[in-house]
Amino acid sequence: MTAEISQNITKTFKFSYPTCTNEDLLFKLEVPVDIPHAGSTRELVQRVINMFHIPVYLEEELNEKLAQFVAEETKNFHNERDMKLLNQLKNSEINVEGIVKSWEKLFKDNVMEFAEQKGTSDEEVFAAAYHKLVHSPALETILQVENSYAKTVMNTLKNRDEDIKKLTQMQTEEMEEKVRLLNTTTTEEEINELAAQQFEQQALVAGRWGSQLDALRQTQRAQHRAWLMNTLEEYQSTSALNTPSNSPLATFSPEAVIVPSPAAPTGERLEESFTIHLGSQLKQTHNIRIVAMDLLDLCSVEQVDNPTESSRRLQTSLSLYSSELAGVVLLTESPPRRPAPPTTLLLDAAARSTEHHFADVEHQLRDISERVQEPVERRNKQRVKEQAEGAPGGGGAPGGGGGGRFRSNTKRNLQTGDIFITRHSNLAEVHVVFHLIVDDSSLRSGDITSRHPAILGLRNILKAACSNDITSISIPLLLRHEMSEEMTAAWCARRAELVLKCVKGFMLEAAGWGGAELRTLHFALPPRAAPALFAQLATLTPNIFRISNPVKCKPKA
Amino acid sequence: MFQENEDDCKFAACTYFAKNHPGEMCGSNGLPLTPSSITILGRAQRLLTIEHANLCTYLDVIRGKHERIIVVAEVIGKSLKECKSKFSYEEVTNIAKQVACGLKFLHDQDITHRTLSDDNILIDNDGRVKLFNYGLYYMTDRGKEVSFPLGLPRYLSPETILNGGGPAADVWSFGIILLELCIGKLWNNLKPGPILRRILTLVHANNPAERIAREHDCFEQYKQVPENLRNVIEKCLKIYPSDRATFTELVEDLSQMDSKQLVEVKRPRGLMGCKLQYLYHWWQLAGGDIQAELKKNYLVKNSPPILSMPIAILLDGCTIGGKSGALFDRRLAKYSLDLLKSRLSHVPPHDYYPLMHERRKEYDAVTLPKIIRERDTEYQFYRLLWFQRLLHGYPYTAPYIRAEAEVDIPPLVRGDVWAALLGVVGDIEEQYERIDKETPTPTDRQIDVDIPRCHQYCWLLCGSAGHRTLKRLLKAWLLTNPQYVYWQGLDSLTAPFLYLNFCNEARAFACLSAFVPKFLHKFFLKDNSAVIKEYLAKFWQMTAFHEPELATHLHEINFVPELFAIPWFLTMFSHVFPLHKIVHLWDALLVEGPALPLFMGVGILRQLRDTLLSSGFNECILLFSDLPEIDIGECVKESIEMCRSSPRSISYRRFTNEAQTKDPMDIVEIPMETLFTEISPRINLSDFFSLICQDKCCVIDIRSNLLYEKSCIDGSINVPYSGVHLGQRELRALGLHPQRVIQEAIKLKKNVVVAAVEEETAQLFTDYLVKCGVPRVCILHGGISALLTNVPSLFTVPPKRNGHK
Repeated sequence: MTAEISQNITKTFKFSYPTCTNEDLLFKLEVPVDIPHAGSTRELVQRVINMFHIPVYLEEELNEKLAQFVAEETKNFHNERDMKLLNQLKNSEINVEGIVKSWEKLFKDNVMEFAEQKGTSDEEVFAAAYHKLVHSPALETILQVENSYAKTVMNTLKNRDEDIKKLTQMQTEEMEEKVRLLNTTTTEEEINELAAQQFEQQALVAGRWGSQLDALRQTQRAQHRAWLMNTLEEYQSTSALNTPSNSPLATFSPEAVIVPSPAAPTGERLEESFTIHLGSQLKQTHNIRIVAMDLLDLCSVEQVDNPTESSRRLQTSLSLYSSELAGVVLLTESPPRRPAPPTTLLLDAAARSTEHHFADVEHQLRDISERVQEPVERRNKQRVKEQAEGAPGGGGAPGGGGGGRFRSNTKRNLQTGDIFITRHSNLAEVHVVFHLIVDDSSLRSGDITSRHPAILGLRNILKAACSNDITSISIPLLLRHEMSEEMTAAWCARRAELVLKCVKGFMLEAAGWGGAELRTLHFALPPRAAPALFAQLATLTPNIFRISNPVKCKPKA
Repeated sequence: MFQENEDDCKFAACTYFAKNHPGEMCGSNGLPLTPSSITILGRAQRLLTIEHANLCTYLDVIRGKHERIIVVAEVIGKSLKECKSKFSYEEVTNIAKQVACGLKFLHDQDITHRTLSDDNILIDNDGRVKLFNYGLYYMTDRGKEVSFPLGLPRYLSPETILNGGGPAADVWSFGIILLELCIGKLWNNLKPGPILRRILTLVHANNPAERIAREHDCFEQYKQVPENLRNVIEKCLKIYPSDRATFTELVEDLSQMDSKQLVEVKRPRGLMGCKLQYLYHWWQLAGGDIQAELKKNYLVKNSPPILSMPIAILLDGCTIGGKSGALFDRRLAKYSLDLLKSRLSHVPPHDYYPLMHERRKEYDAVTLPKIIRERDTEYQFYRLLWFQRLLHGYPYTAPYIRAEAEVDIPPLVRGDVWAALLGVVGDIEEQYERIDKETPTPTDRQIDVDIPRCHQYCWLLCGSAGHRTLKRLLKAWLLTNPQYVYWQGLDSLTAPFLYLNFCNEARAFACLSAFVPKFLHKFFLKDNSAVIKEYLAKFWQMTAFHEPELATHLHEINFVPELFAIPWFLTMFSHVFPLHKIVHLWDALLVEGPALPLFMGVGILRQLRDTLLSSGFNECILLFSDLPEIDIGECVKESIEMCRSSPRSISYRRFTNEAQTKDPMDIVEIPMETLFTEISPRINLSDFFSLICQDKCCVIDIRSNLLYEKSCIDGSINVPYSGVHLGQRELRALGLHPQRVIQEAIKLKKNVVVAAVEEETAQLFTDYLVKCGVPRVCILHGGISALLTNVPSLFTVPPKRNGHK
């Protein structure tokens, strides 16, 4: 509803009663009463009687009178306000058109009966179809098909890389030859010309491969969609379907599907899991895992034929349209417009296979940077203004960490502590990537507080996860992806403690938000973290969180 | 007896989303804002208590994921909108009268309907009319907690459109409804905008009703409406709210006009005659699923969350992109009771009317854990009907209620049963009304700090309605108990009563007022150290009595109860456990009486026994700082067992409100200093006597053998104290015969009573026995001499044993 006009007013309740000795001499009582009165009038009467020592025989009368008074005044209050409004309307002092328009909009935007009938979007139809099929016997075929598609893309990528490598090698040789002959048969201009030529060639080849890949992806995507929709139709008509008959697998050479390559040794990961309890009276259970790994490992699919890889993919596909999503937090210094590592690495990982469900990551990033411009600009202007005013709150305002370094060209960009979000269907273990923009130099320093933008960003991420059904999330424990020299053991312990404590606080808070439950949290250490450091940080966890002890069944004595 | 089609559906649900708070806002107290759904839930509780012949009873308000609210309420017949046939003027008058009755009742309760429309007025085949979901405006705090507009455009009064409107707006809507019943649907096929514009132009009309009729080319038809009915319509459709009739007047007018007599419907028997709330409860237990039906009707749509992911979140929490608000769908999902009917089809008709003095049937379910019994449809069916009977007869049935509560208490009537167990009677509303809960006091600050931290996982208690009521209760209690002060923990203690009596503040208060003197006498004194010290000392003695090994270990690492157990007893465990466990704990507490908490403390320790035995001081502190999960069912069972098997006098405390006894047989009181030094409790002479009579004790006489041989308690053994090496912690050291006797006593779970002449030797010897791991050790109060004075008949001369030198 729009602005409420109801403000309480105060009316005075008057009551008088004769004194005991003289009938004409009256005690007068005046009590201010808020209209509309929120509480019970009978209680008010009791307070009045106590406060003014009014004889109890007047209780009944007071009860009645006050109730009547409040009822009457409340009615008058409403009626007078409404009369004023209606008179204004009669005298055309009210913007009728504006009011009607706003009601119209309210009804149209919020109530089913008056809303424009929207059909289900293509996206939703496809989502429903896919979700249904991956939970049917067709699952295996779907995954095989997707694998083969991915394989084709990877092969193409490999060819491209080889091609470019060959070209580069050839060009280098050619250039070396030229340079060797410099001042004998060739001139500097010729070399420059060659360099330009070579650059052009490179661009040409890259462009050709690029468009080839694009075309391939588009074909695959279209084919995949068409095939899925067909399969669904068939599935629904026959209602029992074992293996889809019209699988596009037929177009692939058989060995591409079957040959399982030996599992690549991924190296021993350091990891430790805990089941914890949160809450002082009612306890919620969560899983926490400390692991030393590169968070990008959660994203990239290295080999499609590897059985462990395909089981990871299987889980991801099954839950893609469910309400148990998996997310990861990546720290980046750059806005979506100009991706830098680790965003670029994510781009590479995502490019290894066709994105069948959502827009390409490049598209998503472009879309994000366009759509955030306006709100961000508004916000940044506000911030600059606040700083210019030298507002006392400026220092304490969130974003104080990165706020000092505004340049005019950053005013439309996301700032430290802001987050942009991409979604994926073709990554190994995650569906959603939270890109948290950080200022690496401030994170390098040891002393950050719980009000640091990166920590506040984490809170926003957990909140978003909660309200968008992300139940498993991976977080860089030290807020750094790589080890560096200032990260001493003490530094790491301090940072890990801060992050764990803050996350604990956020999780407790999240319990009241009424969203999805954050079931699993992975805290990732940089992959090169020493085992000693890992052990030290792993022992930190049970000190911060309460480890649940298993219920033991004791045989009756 | 009733028409199939109509009675199939007894209740219906509708659902909507509460408003999301934009960004990151904090309330004035610096805490995060309460989610709108919580506020709605708190406000809606009052609606659940409203009962009126012309109003559909609210049955449940559920908070779903992501701020979804589901409202479940009674339904009958079908809505006026669905009624295709036209009503006669006589019928219209009758409908109008019933609707007006319902609305009058609401207005008397200070509830404005505001959303009256043809689809929420229900009518059944007998012509009975009920209003459905009349509380939407009320529960959403005048629409503030939702983002969609309330009501249908054509029923909005002019002042409502201008964003004003009080209760008189309902009179306008009522007038429109009547007019529609007489001349047909108004402004059919028009969009909201044009309808609202037309309503607003009515302000220029002298007689809006006529004007509307003319607009619809129904003027002739309107003129044919009986004059008195037309008068009523015109009294409602006045432009100025002050000119409109009130429902009190309308009910009067319509009652005079109304000539139609409703057919008297006999109250249905059997299942359909049960209280609707019970039916709903059983239906849920039988597997009824509110959400499933909503999903089937597409009222709950699950769009995959990945499709509505936001694209960015700014540091201040502002979210860009992502899901747009769901549309408010006015449709209902109706539920049939078939599921329940078939579940209970084998129940014979007379079981619906249990008789008080009839022998109770035994149910197999009684042996199952409480949590399972609470989910058993049939068991709850019998229990609820039985308790309903008993509660009906309260206070005369109080002993029956107590006896039944010992078995278990059906969750649905727990509030009533607790009040009965606590002996709450009389005009509690009036008593509560007389207490000033508004005037600020110095403790308010502390209360305000504590309340937002008290059982906040509970959706009822964490809303503003819960906070306000809790504060009022605490203030009222402090005011009526001037001898006491506010100790932190009083809030937790009040919470269970508020939780069970959310809409019955007076009863919550009466329960609290009865509970404290019974269980926590003098605990809330400004200086309560003596009371708490005595309680803890008693608790420690009970631990030694039932868990000697554990007690010895804790004594040795110097882990005293002061370190952890104060909040346990000060709040009767309500600070340490979540509400769903507290209720089971207190169910037992209220039945068993004030001695039980001591044993519950022991029960908790017993569950942690293994961990504690292997822990040092620091680990223990850590363990208790955040208590691990405790199996409450088991804990309650064991503590009751311990409590019942222990002689009453060993748990005697001086700080209770029970009358002091002067009988030397019953006295066990000892100076506090002595109490703190004694590890084992004392037993009084009468308990001792009855133990002897039941052969449930093993008496150890620690006088010298000379005295013993002169005269001793019949059946006692003699272990002269002078011959005991206290350093050796083995029973074997006492000699073969005593060892055998004591081990036999342990096996038979007998109490081991130490009788002496000097207190000190008795203390040291019992301490020794506890260290040896002997359970159930206690000291005979007053020793041999007191026994000899009071019960000389127990004494005898020991037989000279052969071979004994």
